[in-house]
Amino acid sequence: MSVPNEENMSPHTQLSSHFLGELLDSIIVDVASECHRIAKLGLDRNSEEEEEELRLSAQARVTVAAPSHSCETNGKYVVDIFGQTHPTVANEVFDCMNCGRPIVAGRFAPHLEKCMGKGRKARVKATRSSTAAQNRYSRGSPVSAYSPYSNSTGTHKLSNGTYNHTVEEYSNGTCEEP
Amino acid sequence: MSFKIQLPCYQPLPLPQISVHSPPCHQKANHHHHINGHDPIPPPCPHLADFRSRNGTKPFHLFQNCLRIKPPHGRASIRRDPSEVPRCGACGVSSAPRIYACVTCAAISCHAPPEPSHAAAHAAAMAPGHEISVDVDRAELFCCACRDYVYDRDFDAAVVLSSKANYIHSNVNSDNLRKKRRIVEYRPWLPDIHERVLVNNNSSVLSFVEDRPWGLRGLNNLGNTCFMNSVLQALLHTPPLRNYFLSDKHNRYYCQQQKKSGNDNGVVGGKRSNGGDGNGGKGLRLCLACDMDAMFSAVFSGELVPYSPAKFLYSWWQHAANLASYEQQDAHEFFISMLDGIHEKVEKDRHKPHSLGHGDCCIAHRVFSGILRSDVMCTACGFTSTTYDPCVDISLDLEPYQGSSAKSVSLKTHSCNGEADCKNSSQNGGISTLIGCLDRFTRPERLGSDQKFFCQQCQVRQESLKQMSIRKLPLVSCFHIKRFEHSSIRKMSRKVDRYLQFPFSLDMAPYLSSSILRSRFGNRVFPFDGDETDASNEMSSEFELFAVVTHTGKLDAGHYVTYLRLSNQWYKCDDSWITRVNENIVRSAQGYMMFYVQKMLYYKAGEKQVAQ
Repeated sequence: MSVPNEENMSPHTQLSSHFLGELLDSIIVDVASECHRIAKLGLDRNSEEEEEELRLSAQARVTVAAPSHSCETNGKYVVDIFGQTHPTVANEVFDCMNCGRPIVAGRFAPHLEKCMGKGRKARVKATRSSTAAQNRYSRGSPVSAYSPYSNSTGTHKLSNGTYNHTVEEYSNGTCEEP
Repeated sequence: MSFKIQLPCYQPLPLPQISVHSPPCHQKANHHHHINGHDPIPPPCPHLADFRSRNGTKPFHLFQNCLRIKPPHGRASIRRDPSEVPRCGACGVSSAPRIYACVTCAAISCHAPPEPSHAAAHAAAMAPGHEISVDVDRAELFCCACRDYVYDRDFDAAVVLSSKANYIHSNVNSDNLRKKRRIVEYRPWLPDIHERVLVNNNSSVLSFVEDRPWGLRGLNNLGNTCFMNSVLQALLHTPPLRNYFLSDKHNRYYCQQQKKSGNDNGVVGGKRSNGGDGNGGKGLRLCLACDMDAMFSAVFSGELVPYSPAKFLYSWWQHAANLASYEQQDAHEFFISMLDGIHEKVEKDRHKPHSLGHGDCCIAHRVFSGILRSDVMCTACGFTSTTYDPCVDISLDLEPYQGSSAKSVSLKTHSCNGEADCKNSSQNGGISTLIGCLDRFTRPERLGSDQKFFCQQCQVRQESLKQMSIRKLPLVSCFHIKRFEHSSIRKMSRKVDRYLQFPFSLDMAPYLSSSILRSRFGNRVFPFDGDETDASNEMSSEFELFAVVTHTGKLDAGHYVTYLRLSNQWYKCDDSWITRVNENIVRSAQGYMMFYVQKMLYYKAGEKQVAQ
């Protein structure tokens, strides 16, 4: 912002300019005295540590994005840290604790759903409990982001009880890796 | 326990431990406010020390009558009467940015470099004894000889008390907050002969391999259950929770026996359960803690073959009937539901509700429960209504906008007037950060004109400011990032994929109620809510990250994975697959739930977790 040329200004403008200058000075001293207090009393946040964390994160993202970086997260695993391999569908077999039949682990959840008579066809009302009250503090207007858990106010509860999405029955019964 | 731990000092300025004077304070309780153990007030300059020794604290008492506070929580200023316009005695100016009133004789002088300082001239002319003055517009002490602002505990106390007197504060449910915790002396224990025999006869040696951390074991996916596996892995390595179960604090055999002899309520089908680890027996009482106990035993047994948490799933579906389905679930929803399940089943006998937030009800709340403070301030008169609520985690919004890349100082601690709107992301080049989310969470928020709050003092609905802060930190902080958006109006859901930076070490001190309140009162030195110096408060604001639950993919076709930090090495837990990863992978991952434990409870690299 350029300093106005005082000689060319009308007295009115000069006065306005003078007042503005004083206001600015006052505001600057306000901020300076706040910062002075915070610095003297040691209340300022440890920005060095925070900056270091930011730097490390930025560096990490660059490293991971580099084409030479081995795709640990995307590729399939060869062996785990114990030297084991595991099939896509867990093949441990155990007895269902509801009906007693032997079930393959990787298909246990869909079995149990039918076995217990649960699932979309047999919804029961959500249990209200004291911990549901902790949602009260959450910020946000009704249309903002929030987590799809059932809360005591029930205003955001969707008809099927969990978040609204298309259910895909996976033939192999595991979560889909994108 | 009361044992001393030396913490590293992170403060940039070397502040002394003890101030020169130990003045009596209006508060009868301990008046030191410690941030990581330091007394914040620097030693007084010789002029202030001299002034104090000559006048004690009386001059500051007199100023209380002259303190004018603009509501709500406005700046404090000094005026002998409300309409006074202070003028410099030497030059008559009244508009200089810095005007000082001598504390000894009330003479008013200006100080406006590069002009010669009339304030300094007054001090020199009247020396000794007239060096200390007060900034009339800011209620800050200024030493005219040293030409610097100086700080005094009693002066600050006078300002705060005057501010507090100007508005009334209402605490809605704070009765149970000041519970004194019984401090137990630490006594080392050694087994006697009989106990030694017991230990030797009943112990089996764990196969502890040097480079393999304890308790790492894959969890089989039972059919879209990665949401459950990811949270379970985090909980299996939550230090206080792990210690609780591994030290047999909830013995599943004993618990089931107790319940069997008790009522019939909730007895589960007569079939023998066999989740691979055999709770055994018929007529099992539903108890999620028992199933957790079985899981801990299995996972820490040294067995490497992945464990199937089938019994746990079965029990959980009985507890949370509305969530019992084969569909992909939300990991956070499971987390909340699970803690609730442990609470209900464990505390039934002891009738301790969670509402107090002390965590005495059950282990789940003992570990995760903190207390949040919510202040709603009337913008017209300053009346504040305060409520306390327990919480087991903190859900954070991702910022709706990307900040500019201009570098600017974060104004977090500077919001004296409660209206600072900090553009926290602007200093990070547009990256969302966990710290930024916490800043947003605790900043004063102006409630819209459609959300006017009924002010008890004004007796009408007024516009108000709402501010959250943390009254009590839990042992383990779980931060949940709201990545799943639902709009019932637009009938759609979407996932927010934006990257969020999160630190490996986190200091929660700026978000404590004491810090937030302090900044609201201009950062005066004064004991604020939560400033007690009992051991549980002093050293407990530093946290270390130990688990990250990430979500990749789309909202309805995604995958949860957990990264665990053990002995400063990161491991990826992807259902049955446990692999070692570089910390870069974790830093760049899309965090959904981040678990931090108090530094005191965290084992760092080099410390063996198994007692030798």
